[in-house]
Amino acid sequence: MTSDDHDHSHCLEMFQKLSEYIDGELDHVNCAEIEKHAENCVACFTCLETLKRTIAICKNVKDQPVPQEFSRKLKEIIQNIPKPTSP
Amino acid sequence: MTAKKNPNTKKIKDEDFDLIQAINSGQADKFHELVKRYEQKLYNFSLRMCRDHSDAEDMIQETFLNVFRYLKDFRYETKFKNWLYKVAASTCIKKRRKSKFAPEKELSLEEFLPGNESEIPDHVPDWAMMPLDKLLNQELSSTINQEILSLPKKYRLVIVLRDIEGFSTAETAQILNLSPSNVKVRLHRARLYLRDKLKGYFENDQ
Repeated sequence: MTSDDHDHSHCLEMFQKLSEYIDGELDHVNCAEIEKHAENCVACFTCLETLKRTIAICKNVKDQPVPQEFSRKLKEIIQNIPKPTSP
Repeated sequence: MTAKKNPNTKKIKDEDFDLIQAINSGQADKFHELVKRYEQKLYNFSLRMCRDHSDAEDMIQETFLNVFRYLKDFRYETKFKNWLYKVAASTCIKKRRKSKFAPEKELSLEEFLPGNESEIPDHVPDWAMMPLDKLLNQELSSTINQEILSLPKKYRLVIVLRDIEGFSTAETAQILNLSPSNVKVRLHRARLYLRDKLKGYFENDQ
């Protein structure tokens, strides 16, 4: 990364595409453009890295177990649904 | 909710195919096996959609009752899991329409841009660089879950389906009846919103 004294007018365009870039949904031309820009722009590089980390945190957030009482209640409800007769 | 018949569509045989065939062939008592398979996932999806446990529990019950009601119309044109989430999302949207929540806020891209020169970051913060397993703990999980709940619903549905449940853009678009480009726009804004919340969380932590 070089010093961040460039014109930031290009940043907004990059900023809009960062999620698609992270998700691998951009074509090669756009990917190369973002990579080149991020090499020279600390702000966009930081945005990219913090966005990647946000996604990683979401992807790794733990699920809660189903409370046993609710699970029992749900089972009861399902058992009590009137069942259609066999075709 | 009812799938339209399309004779040219190939059936998708996923891991639930045999069980659903059995239920639809008259073994309705096997439905509880299907509930068991998805209870945990749907419970957590519902918790992230509703603001309290009681609403989340109602949402799961309604979802499974709807699934039971419409399962005979399921044509295997998509994976069962995707159809299940479509039913759940639809139940959630209808439920929220009936409630008294304030109109939903729109998130604009501009609000996530630095307001002035001093807000432009000049380095990558530690929380984005340190190993993820060193970062993830109970408090962070609880914070991210709270912040997800603070997102307007239309953005929350998209980010939960994409980044937590792991559906692709195309699958999420199908589940929510949105265009893929609409999913991408909402996802990006939802991620930026959460990123800002995390920034605040870690800055206050230091």
